[in-house]
Amino acid sequence: MSGSDSIRPYTESEIIMTAVRIVAPFVLTYGLFITFHGADSPGGGFQGGALIGVVVFMLAFAFGIAPTREWVGSGLMTALAAGGVIVFVSVGLGTLALGGKFLEYGLYEPFLGPDATKWGMEAIEIGGVAAIVSGVIMALFFLTAAGYASQGGEDV
Amino acid sequence: MNEIRLGAIFVLLAGGVFFTFVSAVGVIRLPDVYTRAHTASQTDTLGAGLVVAAVVLAYGVETEVIKALLLLVFIFITNPTAAHAVGRAAYEEGIEPWTKGDERR
Repeated sequence: MSGSDSIRPYTESEIIMTAVRIVAPFVLTYGLFITFHGADSPGGGFQGGALIGVVVFMLAFAFGIAPTREWVGSGLMTALAAGGVIVFVSVGLGTLALGGKFLEYGLYEPFLGPDATKWGMEAIEIGGVAAIVSGVIMALFFLTAAGYASQGGEDV
Repeated sequence: MNEIRLGAIFVLLAGGVFFTFVSAVGVIRLPDVYTRAHTASQTDTLGAGLVVAAVVLAYGVETEVIKALLLLVFIFITNPTAAHAVGRAAYEEGIEPWTKGDERR
């Protein structure tokens, strides 16, 4: 960090804001695409979730970190991370309840048809991993950014 | 016709490799953050851009090419913006640009 007299409010750049406005929808679409494709082509919940988190980073870089943090809200990040864990664990424990092993997708066949294994995997990838990764990555970013007073961050 | 296409692919690839090489040298040799940010953004914009253009020519008319073209568009939007963001952040932090006679930093 530089001298104490250079601490001033972060001003937005017109160029960065415009570029983010153009690119952000495509990045979000691409993140969802990768997430939903995970079970049968390269990609997956982890990479897709990271891209969805990156959309929030881009918004934070363009429009300031504090307003983006308020806009996203810590509730959403907690809900994504905790909800993902709940989905993952309940899909896994569901098979235990049906008398099988943890995450034995085949037991869902009476409810989901012959593709039960694939649906189970999709549920884990989309509802579990992608949500956890995007929620945690956003929370980590805002925690890391906290404390930079010159950028409108807050001390934690 | 095929020879022209092959020649164009070769020229684009050579250009891409050339710009990547120049900017790699620049990142090592140039003296301060502004000049290095400027040369580093060249790698991705011109270097990768020309190589992706060569890929587009090599594949011809196919669905895969749409992805490559989209990549090209986003490379040309995002990389100059990233370089701008780096330079701007450095200026906001109060880093003085290098002038002749200064030390490297």
